[in-house]
Amino acid sequence: MTRLGSGGLIDRSQQLRFTFDGKSYAGHAGDTLASALVANDVKLVGRSFKYHRPRGILTAGAEEPNALVELGTGTRREPNTRATTVELFDGLVASSQNRWPTLALDLLSLNQLLSPFFVGGFYYKTFMWPASFWEKVYEPLIRRAAGLGRASGLPDPDAYEKATAFCDVLVIGSGPAGLMAARTAARAGARVILCEDDFRLGGRLLAERVEVEGRPGAEFARSVEDELAAMPEVRIFRRTQVFGTYDGGTYGALERVADHLLAPPPGVPRQRLWHIVARRCVNAMGAVERPIAFADNDRPGVMLAAAVRTYVNRFAALPARRAVVFTTTDDGWRTAQDLIAAGAEVSAVVDPRREVPDSIMAPLARSGARLLRAAKVTRAIGGSSGVKAVEVAQGGSLLRIEADGLAVSGGWNPQVGLTTHKGSRARWSPELSTFVPGSLPEGMRVAGAVSGDYGLSACLRAGHDAGSAAAQDCGFAAASPDVPRAEDEPIAVAPLWHVTGGRGKSFVDQQNDVTVKDVEIAWREGFRAVEHLKRYTTLGMATDQGKTSNVVGHAIMAELTGRPMEDVGTTVTRPPHLPVAIGAFAGRHRGRHFKPTRYVSGHDWALRHGATMVDAGQWLRPQWFSAPGETDWLTSVIREVKTTRLAVGVCDVSTLGKIDIKGKDAGVFLDRVYINRFSTLPVGKARYGIMLREDGFVMDDGTTARLGPMHYVMSTTTANAGKVMQHLEFYHQVVWPELDIAMVSVTEHWAQYAVAGPRSREVIQAIYGTAADVSNGSFPYLACREIMLGEIPTRLFRLSFSGEMAFEIAIPARYGESLLGELLREAVGRGGCAYGTEALGVMRVEKGHVAGNELNGQTVVRDLGLGRMASSEKDYVGRIMAGRPALVASDRPTLVGVQPVDSKQRLRAGAHVLALGAATTAENDVGYVTSVVYSPTVGSWIGLALVKGGTAQVGTRMRAYDPVRNGDIEVNLVSPIFVDPKGERLHG
Amino acid sequence: MRIPCPYCGSRDLSEFVYHGDAAPKRPDPAAENASELFYTYVYLRENPAGPLRELWYHASGCRSWLIVTRDTRTHDIAGAVLAMESAS
Amino acid sequence: MVERGPLVLRPASAIPELCGSVELSRAWVLACERHPQLATVIAYKGRRADVAARLKDRYALSLPDGPRRATRGASALIGLGPRSWLFQRETGPALEPELSEVLGDAAAVTNQSDGYVVFRLTGPRVRDVLAKGISIDLHDRVFVPGCSVGTTCAHIGVILWRLEDANDVSVFELAVFRSLARSLWHFIEESAAEFGLAVTPAC
Ligand SMILES: [Zn+2]
Repeated sequence: MTRLGSGGLIDRSQQLRFTFDGKSYAGHAGDTLASALVANDVKLVGRSFKYHRPRGILTAGAEEPNALVELGTGTRREPNTRATTVELFDGLVASSQNRWPTLALDLLSLNQLLSPFFVGGFYYKTFMWPASFWEKVYEPLIRRAAGLGRASGLPDPDAYEKATAFCDVLVIGSGPAGLMAARTAARAGARVILCEDDFRLGGRLLAERVEVEGRPGAEFARSVEDELAAMPEVRIFRRTQVFGTYDGGTYGALERVADHLLAPPPGVPRQRLWHIVARRCVNAMGAVERPIAFADNDRPGVMLAAAVRTYVNRFAALPARRAVVFTTTDDGWRTAQDLIAAGAEVSAVVDPRREVPDSIMAPLARSGARLLRAAKVTRAIGGSSGVKAVEVAQGGSLLRIEADGLAVSGGWNPQVGLTTHKGSRARWSPELSTFVPGSLPEGMRVAGAVSGDYGLSACLRAGHDAGSAAAQDCGFAAASPDVPRAEDEPIAVAPLWHVTGGRGKSFVDQQNDVTVKDVEIAWREGFRAVEHLKRYTTLGMATDQGKTSNVVGHAIMAELTGRPMEDVGTTVTRPPHLPVAIGAFAGRHRGRHFKPTRYVSGHDWALRHGATMVDAGQWLRPQWFSAPGETDWLTSVIREVKTTRLAVGVCDVSTLGKIDIKGKDAGVFLDRVYINRFSTLPVGKARYGIMLREDGFVMDDGTTARLGPMHYVMSTTTANAGKVMQHLEFYHQVVWPELDIAMVSVTEHWAQYAVAGPRSREVIQAIYGTAADVSNGSFPYLACREIMLGEIPTRLFRLSFSGEMAFEIAIPARYGESLLGELLREAVGRGGCAYGTEALGVMRVEKGHVAGNELNGQTVVRDLGLGRMASSEKDYVGRIMAGRPALVASDRPTLVGVQPVDSKQRLRAGAHVLALGAATTAENDVGYVTSVVYSPTVGSWIGLALVKGGTAQVGTRMRAYDPVRNGDIEVNLVSPIFVDPKGERLHG
Repeated sequence: MRIPCPYCGSRDLSEFVYHGDAAPKRPDPAAENASELFYTYVYLRENPAGPLRELWYHASGCRSWLIVTRDTRTHDIAGAVLAMESAS
Repeated sequence: MVERGPLVLRPASAIPELCGSVELSRAWVLACERHPQLATVIAYKGRRADVAARLKDRYALSLPDGPRRATRGASALIGLGPRSWLFQRETGPALEPELSEVLGDAAAVTNQSDGYVVFRLTGPRVRDVLAKGISIDLHDRVFVPGCSVGTTCAHIGVILWRLEDANDVSVFELAVFRSLARSLWHFIEESAAEFGLAVTPAC
């Protein structure tokens, strides 16, 4: 155990058990998995991506490249979790990644011996050809040998959800700058949202031995938190990472609602994805420390200096008992002080700078540590169990200093990611030797370390000023200034990117195993732009996106090319700033709930009557009704078709779009959007209509009925209902605003049922009784009428899609189910039945009616044999463009019927039509089969097809070729109307 | 992205349907060169880098067609008006 | 031919039964289903003022000129768009014929009573539930009683409005197309589960 006897922000009264690679350990509430591992002296936590080198914990935050573990088991197993951000809980199970069979004995570390093959650009060089090897050989090989963790491969048992929040001021980060920004804006009266990735507010205040207003930093943070928590207009989101900046002041954030629990409580989602809409934003995300590249700098036990302070001060866990500190910054020296204060030994502080202020060195004068200036660490010596010694070059000599840990500080990188998501670039600051935010997204301010203000007092002031300004932008009066008193600790840095001379690999990017040598190879081979360097070496890819490595890699490239960092620049970053589970983006929309489902009024009725339902866009519709004893769909469908054609069938057509169009210009408007005329349609009559898109292709079809002089009701196909409404609104509002019409969808108000077949009139008459006379004389084909059924208004239409005498009756939806029951009762009494969309489809194909398969966006009316419907006496949408030469060419594919020569053979939709004996080439393709059904009326499979020269080809024999399903049969081209070509049944 | 609908106020992008440049007007179908004019109207667009007046349909809100002025480089929205009012 | 008595049609609810997750005493969100009469009113060209005057005359209702809801007694008028409104009335004789007569040639009146299902939601955590589906700022001082919006809730089109508070707790109503009522209810159930949902006719 390396847990200190006292101190730290952990609750020692709460012991939490957890396992790592099957071994049991204990930690405390307030620990992260990483701090608990440090406290248990676990140094080796994983193997690296390419070379399977032993790795430990490098950082104490979300930027961690190495300590990625698999969390949980079974369906809840999650790979690539950063141990440094995982909040410890009782029963946590974690295991290491990228090792086989065990972490200590990893056979794949043989990859190291193959390392000449893994250098920069190795993917491109090694796996070039043959192309067919990629899928079969290379990819599986690479995935086994090199790769991050394993997905569980099982459905995620947890729920995710999305939510939107609004505020005046969003504050990102709760370090000293963020806390002050939130407090100042909130005191001014603004609605504030404060997001903190950590489970505890305070940022570096929790990790440093600093004082604010004479109190320890963590205590100050707690007092601000208490004040904020008591304010009604402040929302504090803990465990919430802001991962993206989007347009219009929208930010993406992920709240880990239940990740710190063994499993989410009932009803509670695991994670929640927030859209935060903020008028102003104060970005106080801080900075992350960067390492220095030297030989074997990836040994377990090599840790960033600020992370060492975090483990010592916040978690009371000692990463090293005898440490060397290698720092090129002033603040790295504080790590030595903190280690000594915690009772550890510091063997040496190594600083490459010639001059280091006395004020920094003085506190360590009597510590026994060797204070080496103008010196560099050239190598970390040790093995998989950790660092044993450190090799230091000073002057011309090499020193070996015994140590079990090495703390490294190479300076700080402000977390500029969120400032660049809208396209602006970070700017190189030569004074600070780092990238700082460039131009900011509208509404965003930066405060504190994210803008290069590293001192505590400076952070507090910057946070205060940004919070105050943001609140004022939102119209709140500035509160009286109140900036807490604190010191500005020394923060000078003399950049050092890498140390040469040591024997061994010097890692720039530990997550992707990119070394200094790889950067040199990229440079030698001409991949010198940072974006090329990234793709050639994989520098800055994967889960950490180069948070600790990018700047070092780019600086090395700058040295090699002799260009200043301003010119070299840095890579573009895009959301998400940190990894987000795909499940969180999906939220609740998965499985059946991927999209909303629309239910017809008769849904439950249909289920009770043996219906199998089918998706039709968002709708669920009865596809067929299985009668007792029926086990296959075709038997049911054949029965439904035969019954309807012989007696009567009832079908739910409620899903068809219905639009009420009223007003004195309604007729004129319809004349303009339909190819045929409606202004002359008599009241009480319906007419089939076709509308085109402006490019001349058919958009939709349906019947429109005239219920009054200024009142029409249009029907659309189920699939296009929304699109047609939008189309009509476009022409009304944008193109012809002078027309006086009113349109509204009434699809939902009316349930509608088709009653078809020779005995349909009897059924309808029985329903209406004396309320209406529906005889042929009184209510002929294409009649329509509004009829009261007792107190209930209904609309009755004489329409037919099946070719039989048929009616459609519309009734307010609440009575739909009840009416269905009555209709079926009347129908059954006459030998009838209910039928679904399958039988509907069979009957429309038998009758040669076009539907979605033919209205596919590539057909014009002439193709469908409906050219004569187009009026030549008026303009209408699509008329001009439909006249283009290619759309009126005589060899366009047009509608025909197809029927197998051998009636036992099965025709397939999608089959291509070829002349008999023609070679199966694309040039010989003369059309394709659009719809196929089994027709009980004809006694074989039949289809509709679009064939060149269509009508003229009727009577010829051709070939239906379906290579996908090995279909190749002879067919006769016939008239598309298979049933009652004269339309006698229709008029009954 | 948020779009300021003149009727509904600031709304999420997901409530809208995009249509494109608002400049092309449906030509006179009786014009001598109508087929040429319609070809241009249906297919040809400028695609400028900068502010553009565009048609958007507030499908999940007030069902108004809007003319939104958006900078195609930055997505900054300078304003929105009802197409129906803009036309008359 | 089967002999039978006079035809009797029974109304059916869009959802068989609403169920909560906890007892009333433990619920932080309450819900119920309402069945008002509804009709859309669309003013004809240049007739907005006539529509306003006739509604004022007959119902003492002011025509909202934005996404707001005006109420008077059992009647309410909700702004849907620049020239369309939803008239809502919980009681009284058939709405559509009456309104058609009142408005005459000034507006198109269309019955939508069966087109929507209205859910009433209230309780201390009602905003947390709505925030999971609706990207509208429903803050107490921003979306005040009388505000309304046409928007989406979990990708389902809804009309949302806020009623006067009851016992210092905010009350919202959501009108949803009848066919989508089950999907919206599913959203409400799931989203309110973490707080505890109770269904009570008196909510
Ligand atoms: Zn709108």
